[in-house]
Amino acid sequence: MNTLKKIIILFLTSLLVFSLVSCTKNTLSTRENEYIIKVIVKKSDHDFWAVVKMGAEAAGKEFNVTIDFDGPTDEEDIDGQIRMVEAAINNNVDALVLAASDFIRLVPVAEKAKDANIPVIIIDSNIDSANMDSFIGTDNVDGGRKLGESLISVVGNSSNIVIVNFVKGAASATERESGLLSLLDDYPGITILETVYCNSDEQIATQMTLALIKKYPQLDTFVCLNAYATVGVARGVVGESKEGDVLIIGFDSTPEEISFLEKDVIQSLVVQNPFSMGYLGVKYAIAALNNESVPKTIKTDFKVINKENMYLPENQKLVFPFVD
Amino acid sequence: MKKDRANLAKNIYIKNKFKFRINSIQSVITLSFTSITLLAMIFIGIAFFSTFSDNAEKNAASSMQQIMNQATINLENYLHSMIGISDLIQSKISVAPLGNLEEINDVLSLTLEIRKDIVAVSIYTDNGNLLLTSPKYQYDNTYLVTQQEWFLKSIEDPLDYLFQPPHVQRLFEDKRPWVISLSHGITSDVSSIPQQFITKVDMNFSVIEQLCSEVVLGQRGYIYIVDSSGNIIYHPQQQLIYTGLKQEDIEEALKKEPGSYLDTYQGEKRITTIMNIEHANWTMVGVSFLDEIVQNKRNLNALIIITLLFGIIFIIIASIFISSKISQPIKRLEHQMNKVERGDFNIDNLEVKGEDEVKQLTKAFNLMIIRIKQLMNQIVTEQESKRKSEIKALQAQINPHFLYNTLDSIIWMNENKKYDGVSEMTAALAKLFRISLSKGSETISICDEIEHARSYLIIQKIRYKKKFDFTIDLPNNLCKYKTVKLILQPIIENAIYHGINKIQEHGVISIKVVKKETFVLFVITDNGYGISQDNLKKVMNQESTSRHSSGVGIKNVNERLKLSYGNDYGIEINSEFEVGTTIFIKIPLVEE
Repeated sequence: MNTLKKIIILFLTSLLVFSLVSCTKNTLSTRENEYIIKVIVKKSDHDFWAVVKMGAEAAGKEFNVTIDFDGPTDEEDIDGQIRMVEAAINNNVDALVLAASDFIRLVPVAEKAKDANIPVIIIDSNIDSANMDSFIGTDNVDGGRKLGESLISVVGNSSNIVIVNFVKGAASATERESGLLSLLDDYPGITILETVYCNSDEQIATQMTLALIKKYPQLDTFVCLNAYATVGVARGVVGESKEGDVLIIGFDSTPEEISFLEKDVIQSLVVQNPFSMGYLGVKYAIAALNNESVPKTIKTDFKVINKENMYLPENQKLVFPFVD
Repeated sequence: MKKDRANLAKNIYIKNKFKFRINSIQSVITLSFTSITLLAMIFIGIAFFSTFSDNAEKNAASSMQQIMNQATINLENYLHSMIGISDLIQSKISVAPLGNLEEINDVLSLTLEIRKDIVAVSIYTDNGNLLLTSPKYQYDNTYLVTQQEWFLKSIEDPLDYLFQPPHVQRLFEDKRPWVISLSHGITSDVSSIPQQFITKVDMNFSVIEQLCSEVVLGQRGYIYIVDSSGNIIYHPQQQLIYTGLKQEDIEEALKKEPGSYLDTYQGEKRITTIMNIEHANWTMVGVSFLDEIVQNKRNLNALIIITLLFGIIFIIIASIFISSKISQPIKRLEHQMNKVERGDFNIDNLEVKGEDEVKQLTKAFNLMIIRIKQLMNQIVTEQESKRKSEIKALQAQINPHFLYNTLDSIIWMNENKKYDGVSEMTAALAKLFRISLSKGSETISICDEIEHARSYLIIQKIRYKKKFDFTIDLPNNLCKYKTVKLILQPIIENAIYHGINKIQEHGVISIKVVKKETFVLFVITDNGYGISQDNLKKVMNQESTSRHSSGVGIKNVNERLKLSYGNDYGIEINSEFEVGTTIFIKIPLVEE
C-alpha cells in the first residue's frame, strides 16, 4: 500500500517537473521555417527578375518561410520552365509562385501542381487556366495603353512606328500589344509599319533594329514591349547613331534602360513594380497555404517615367530598387 | 440474535472503511492542510501576477528606452565620425584649397579604403564645379549639382551639417546606389578672395542597418529612423514602404515629444518610443507590440495556473499520504476494537508502533483487553467452583431418616438375635458411607459405584423384609473405567419407593453394565408400578422431596452427568405403567 503510494507520488512529481520544463520550453522555443516556397520566373539572371526575387525574399523574411528562387537561363526555354515546375512538384514544395513563360504550355504542369495540393500563385504573366489561386501582375492591357499614351505625349498625333514585341504566345506580350493597339485605334495619324518579335533576346532586338532602320527610312519611333526589346532597340539606335532621331518608348526600368533614358536615347518608360509581384506572390502563397482567402487577381501599379521625373523621390524608389 | 449483531457490526465496519467520512482524522487533516496551502498558493499567485501585469507595460516601455538609448548613442557616434571625416577633408581644403589636391586625394582614397560604409566623397566649388571625387569613376555629366536642393542649402548655410535622406547617387555614370549623404560648406580664406567649397560624403546603409537591426524589441518589434521632414532614413522594411506595400505612421511619430506612448496603428496596439538623434536632426522610433506583452502575460498566467494545479494535486496527495500515515494505526486500533465489540476477545496483542500517542493508546488498549480477559476467566472459575461446592454439599447430604431407619433395623435385629442380619447390614452401611465419601473425590471406578449400589440394595432388601430381589451383572474388565459417583443409588431408591413398594408381587431389580465402543451403559430395570407419562416429566425435573430419599433426585444425577460429560450423556427413562421401568445411564469411557 505504502509502496504503491510512493510510486504514485514519484510519478506525479516527475509529471509536475516534466510539465513545468515543457511549459518553459514552449514559451522559449522559436518558430522554425515552416514552409518552402518555390519561386520560378522566366529568366534567372536578369535585373527585372532580380527585383522580383528581392520582393519574394522580403516576404520570406517577414513571414519566416524559405524561398527557393529559380528560372531558366533563357526566357524562351519553356520546356526548361516546365521541367522546373515538375521538379518542384516532385520535391514536394509547399507552394509555387510562377511567372509563366507561355500562356498555354504551362497550363498542364501548373494544374498538376494544383492537383498535388500545392497552391500556385501566378505572377507577371498569366496562364490559360482559372484553377490557379491568384494572378498578381501588371494589368498588361492597361500597360499597353499606357505605352500608347506615352507615345502620343512624346510624338504627338502622327508618327511611323515599329512595335517590338518579345515572345509570341506569352500572355503579357499579347495583352500589352492588344492594349497598345486599342489605344492607337483612336489615333489614325500613327502608322504601324511592322510588329516584330525579338524572343526576349537583346541581341536579336539589336539586329532587328539595324535592319528595320534600313528597311523603313520613314521610321521615327520604336515602341518596345519589354525590357529586352527596349535595351536591344536602344543599342541598335545608338549603333546607328540615330539617338534623338529615332525615338524609343520602352517598358521596365533596368539600369541600362535608365542609363539610356538619361542619355536621351529612350524618351519614356512604362515601369512596373516587380518587387510587389515577388512580395505579394509569396505573401498570398502563404495565405493560400493557411487556407485564408486570396483575391483571384491583384493588379500591381506602374508608372510612366521620363528624364524629367525619374529622380523625383516617389519615382526613384520605383526605378531604382532599394538594396539593403 | 448474537450473530445478527455481529453481522451488523461487520457491515458498519466495511462501510466505514470505504466511505469518505467527513469527521475522520484523515479527512480533517487532508482538508485543512489542502485548504490552507491552497489559500497561500492562490494568494501568492495573485500577488505575483498582479505585480507583474501592472508593471508589464511600464517595464516594456522602460526596457525599450534603455535598449534604444544605446542604439541612439551608437548612431550618434557613427554620425559624429562622419562629421569628423567631413571636417578632416575640409581642414585640408581650408589650408590650401587647390594646391593641395594630391594630398587630399590620398586622404580620401585612404578613408574609403578603411571605411567600407563610405561610398563616395565629392568636393564642389561654390559654383557647382566638381573639384575632386573619390573613387575615380566616370562622372555623370547630366548631373547638375547646382539644381540640387542639398547643394543650394549648403551654399546658403555652409556651417550646417546637412544629412540627406536616402536617395539615388547620380555622381557617376551607370552607378546608381542608394546612399545617405552629409554635405557641409567651408570657406577658404587662404587666397585674397574667400572661396567656398562644399563637401559631400555619401554613405551606404550597412552601418546604420547593423546598428538598428541589433535592436531587438520582442519578436516583432523594430526601430526605424526618420528625418525632420518625415523621410525614412532607415526602416527594416524600407523597400516595402517605398513600394507602398507597407505603411508607417511617421507623421504621428514626428508630432510627439521624445518618450513612450501607447497607440493603435492598423488595428494593432503598440508601444511607440521616440528618441531624438543629435547631429542629424533625426528621430529614432521604436515600435513594440502590446500583444506580445499580453502573450507574455498569458504565458505567465498559464504557468501560474499550471503550477497551482500541480501544487494542489501534489499537496492533496501529500496530505492524504500524511494523514493516512497518522490515522492508519488509529484505524487499525479501531478495527480491533470493532472485533472486541462483536465479542471476540481472542485477539493477539496489537503491534505497538506508530507515533507516541498511538503507541500509548495501543498499549492501554492491550492492557484493557488483557484485564478483561483475566476478569472473565476469574468469573468463569468462580462460578464453576461455586457450583462444584454446591454439588459436593448435596452429595454430602445424608438423609437422616435413612440412617435412623437403618440403625433402627439393626437394633431391632440385634434384639431379636438375628446377628447375621446385623453384621450384614452394618457391613453394608459401612461400605455405603465409605464409598459415598471416597476421600472427597468426584469420580470413582465403576466397580466402586456398583458396590455402593449393591450395599444400598442389601440394606433396603433387609429393611423391606425381602420384598424384592436384585441382580447385578458387571463384566470383569470394567473396573478400570471411572464414573461420576452416586449415580445409581438415587435411581434404585426411586425404583424401590415408587415402583416395588406399590405392587403386591415380589419385586425384581436388575442392574446391568454394558460396555459399548465409546461409552458405558448402566441399565436399571424394575418390575414395579411404572411411571405415568405425566409423572415422567416431573421425575426428570423435580428435586427429590421424598422423606425417605437420600436427597439426590434423578434430575440432579442427570445434570451432574451432563455437566461432567456433556449433553451427549445422561439419563433416559423407559417406563410402562404397571409393568415396570427401565432407566439407561450413559457415560463415556474414561479410564483411570
